[in-house]
Amino acid sequence: MSAGRYDAIVIGAGHNGLIAAAYLARAGRKVLVLERREVVGGAAVTEEIFPGYRFTEFSYVVSLLRPEIIRDLELPKHGLKILPLPSTVTPLDNGDYLAAWDDHDLTRRELYRHSPRDAEAADEYSRVMARAAKAIKPILGLVPPDPSSLSWRDLRGLLKLGQYGASLSEREIYRIAKLVTQSAADLLDEWFELDPLKGTKSASGIIGTFLGPRSPGTAYVLLHHYMGEIDGAFRAWGFAKNGTGGVTAAIASSARALGVEIRTGAAVDHVVVRNGRACGVALENGDDFEAQVVMSAADPKRTFLQFVDRRHLPGEFVTAIERFRVRGSSGKVNIALSELPQFTCLPGEGPLHRGAISISPSIDYIERAYDQAKYGQFSSQPYIDMIIPSMIDRDMAPPGHHVASCFVQYAPYDIEGGWDDAKREAFGETVIATLERYAPNIRRAIVGKQVITPQDIERIAGITGGNIFHGELLLHQLFFLRPAPQWADFRTPLPGYYFGASGAHPGGGVMGAAGKLAAHEILKDWR
Amino acid sequence: MSAAKHDVIVVGAGHNGLVTAAYLAKAGHKVLVLERAEVPGGQLAARRLWPEVEAPVLHPSGQLRPDIVRDLDLDRHGLRTAATNGGAYVSLLPDGGSLRLTTDAGDAGTIESIGRMSARDAARWPEFVAFMNGAAAFLDAAYRTPMPRLLRSELVREGLPLASLLLRLRRLGREDMFRVMRSLSMSAREFTEEWFESEPLRAAIGALAIHGVTLGAYSAGTGFTLIHNWLNRGGLAHRPSTGGASLTDALVAAVSAGGGELRTSCAVERILVDKQQVQGVRVAGGEEIAASLVVSAADPRTTLLGLVGAPELPPEFVWQAQSIRMRGTVAKVHLLTDGRHGLPEGTLVVAPTLKYLEQAYDASKYGEISERPYLEVTTAGPVVSVHYEFASFALRKGDWQDERATLETRAIDMLASFAPTLRDSIRGVQSITPLDLEQDWGLAQGDLNHGQPILDQIFFMRPLPGWSDHRTPVEGLYLCGSGVHGGGGISGASGRNAARVMLKGGGR
Repeated sequence: MSAGRYDAIVIGAGHNGLIAAAYLARAGRKVLVLERREVVGGAAVTEEIFPGYRFTEFSYVVSLLRPEIIRDLELPKHGLKILPLPSTVTPLDNGDYLAAWDDHDLTRRELYRHSPRDAEAADEYSRVMARAAKAIKPILGLVPPDPSSLSWRDLRGLLKLGQYGASLSEREIYRIAKLVTQSAADLLDEWFELDPLKGTKSASGIIGTFLGPRSPGTAYVLLHHYMGEIDGAFRAWGFAKNGTGGVTAAIASSARALGVEIRTGAAVDHVVVRNGRACGVALENGDDFEAQVVMSAADPKRTFLQFVDRRHLPGEFVTAIERFRVRGSSGKVNIALSELPQFTCLPGEGPLHRGAISISPSIDYIERAYDQAKYGQFSSQPYIDMIIPSMIDRDMAPPGHHVASCFVQYAPYDIEGGWDDAKREAFGETVIATLERYAPNIRRAIVGKQVITPQDIERIAGITGGNIFHGELLLHQLFFLRPAPQWADFRTPLPGYYFGASGAHPGGGVMGAAGKLAAHEILKDWR
Repeated sequence: MSAAKHDVIVVGAGHNGLVTAAYLAKAGHKVLVLERAEVPGGQLAARRLWPEVEAPVLHPSGQLRPDIVRDLDLDRHGLRTAATNGGAYVSLLPDGGSLRLTTDAGDAGTIESIGRMSARDAARWPEFVAFMNGAAAFLDAAYRTPMPRLLRSELVREGLPLASLLLRLRRLGREDMFRVMRSLSMSAREFTEEWFESEPLRAAIGALAIHGVTLGAYSAGTGFTLIHNWLNRGGLAHRPSTGGASLTDALVAAVSAGGGELRTSCAVERILVDKQQVQGVRVAGGEEIAASLVVSAADPRTTLLGLVGAPELPPEFVWQAQSIRMRGTVAKVHLLTDGRHGLPEGTLVVAPTLKYLEQAYDASKYGEISERPYLEVTTAGPVVSVHYEFASFALRKGDWQDERATLETRAIDMLASFAPTLRDSIRGVQSITPLDLEQDWGLAQGDLNHGQPILDQIFFMRPLPGWSDHRTPVEGLYLCGSGVHGGGGISGASGRNAARVMLKGGGR
């Protein structure tokens, strides 16, 4: 007995699922979103793990959220407010620090005191990278064509791609080609000499990947740093009021206002298929819902290997999905603090507390951290990116107290011997000990901490393999190969079943592009 | 300046330089090849390690592309080439056993050897070899295809060969097409994991992927280098010697037959340029030789920054040329034995697991010498030749003068663990460090490839983006060595392509 009939059902209320639902509703469809957890947001959630202390649990910064989505869904009206992160400070082992401030002249002077050469190079570097980012951005909004297909739609897609390519200058094409194949280390070595500068910049190249800064293919992700837009201006990163949970709360609010029904505590068991077509879903509790179209916003493995019976999918496709690499490499340590961490490199409460603190003294440091992960260990000297949300948004912690959000690499999903409580504890301790070297008061300030391993990411946020991007951003898993060859256009081999989350083009990060593109493809197919 | 007796000067008598020279001579050019060493051949030069034995010093094998052999009539000059590669590729395993592979279709010994580890893998082996041969053939076609400049205006004219290459890719069939595309950027580890379950088999293949390049089995781009090395080798193992004239001798004979002249012990010190146009060269001793065309078989960095010099080149070009990643991490250790070394014939590798290979590679990131190296070993009579990876060119601690002994000790220790009679049979040791490769063999940073064949330094980005057509900003100056598209390894492809470009003529 059907519990309800809808035009479209979206599985998963992560940001992509919510965005897809909102766009479908905006086009007049009756949409139901089903979320396994009691809260919406997927990996963009804010939870009060310790009473009074709100943790932006997994994802913690925003910049790539598509401006057109913010506009179309009127997200500011629904509570979205993004505050820029004004700085990145890299503490050094000799007690000094290297900082990048949002004031250009200040940053230049800061760089100058370390290396005049790098200070000169930095401006040109930013210009080159910003130009490249601008050139590559349109790809984020393209539906990847299938190069092996002669269908009208794919040929048109290839033509569009060709037109886009033709619009670029020769130099831009080479620059992009180099960027997607080089290692972050090689690129940075070409421009700079300062170890902490290179280390800090290279870190953005390895976020969420199972690669080191010397690995080919990591230079591309450096571009993401230049693709961010806040309030129409190119900015690095920002913090949403109430954490990234604030972003998804705003999207959910907008979706509801458009008529979308969101049910939490509604774990999907499988997609119902009749006459070779997806026509609804059945929940774990036995309820089932009917719909003309079903879209999954879960990760590719869950989407294709769990929700659907394999016999509905071609063997080749199943193999491709089974091969899709989803190894998580990142951990998160969220800390409730009774006082502000005092950094010996810059004592006292200061601007550094409102920005990011990056433990990344050199490329070698990060590469060695990666080496350990390669062999199944978490890094004993990890890369850490820390922000203090309570300094930006006072509501995140009780007055005078703070919360710290620490993103950590590397913590391999398939750690030798598997993750257990002892290993999680040891990992958390490693992070604290590392921070302690630069902020000695942090340990006594800890009121509580939440240590999240890739296995926890899998368990809590429902992402197979615990990879924050739902699938590693490797060249052979991008664009028309994401999540599988011939199926990168948000459709699936099962008619009526669609896929639109981070495991699809354009990949991970809180962008929303996949959800929006998927919704449009669904609407295009609507009969 | 001496009167222009020659219209083309070829700098360097390595195999690519000789190939270019022979093609140009055949087409009627008056070619002069200048070689700084006493004997021609470059990396294939017949230098003697010990006076009483003949053994390859840097490369145990090497065969030119068949069309080059045909075009230059090299069999008439004594060259004998093998159509297939029946060599044995033997992975020495820590338990004393070994995995023996050949890429000859239907070789029962191979199937049996793999089958002892995994019946499933043995069943897949023929399909794997067929795929690799197909992928190698595609890469060969790619190396024959001139890379067009991506200028919209020229793309239509120069883009036709590229378009036909892409069509050829499509004609591989959907499954293989995607397989090839994915393989190019994958790591050898991922690639072999998709094919096989047995770790020694994966590692044996992974070893070929990292052979001669500064990458690890876990690095992106080793899917490409695997196909590249497979293409140049004609499979996994080094081709057994065919007898007959050496590649170098046959090429030198071809150059002479075309009226070309070869001068050895004649080092080019400078390529003379005036108003962005090549004038000729100046050799050691001061003699200046005029020519309207100069083609260099030396690596791009040495050629452009060393022989031409930055003042004669556009600044951005200079910056890019400085950034060409030369990253030699190969060393050679040759052992003269009394014959009782106890090693089997064929191409032997020490590559028990992919993790082992990756750990060996780690040393190269920190300026070290691998403690437990990846080794490839070949024997020629009493000489045991060891290819050692990874030995960083720029050591962080100490220098190569001190560390040569470390290298030799580690090589012998590792090999001796597989061959108990080896140590006692050793009568002499000679090693070639990355520094030796730079100083004695003219290779910048000891890079045998003239520039790492990493993903951002191949195809239209080799040697530099926009400059993969053998031309340079200097009118009349061309590049024909391994550092250009098509090069890296012994194949002659770059030399042949350079000659074609030069014969077609025309400016940019």
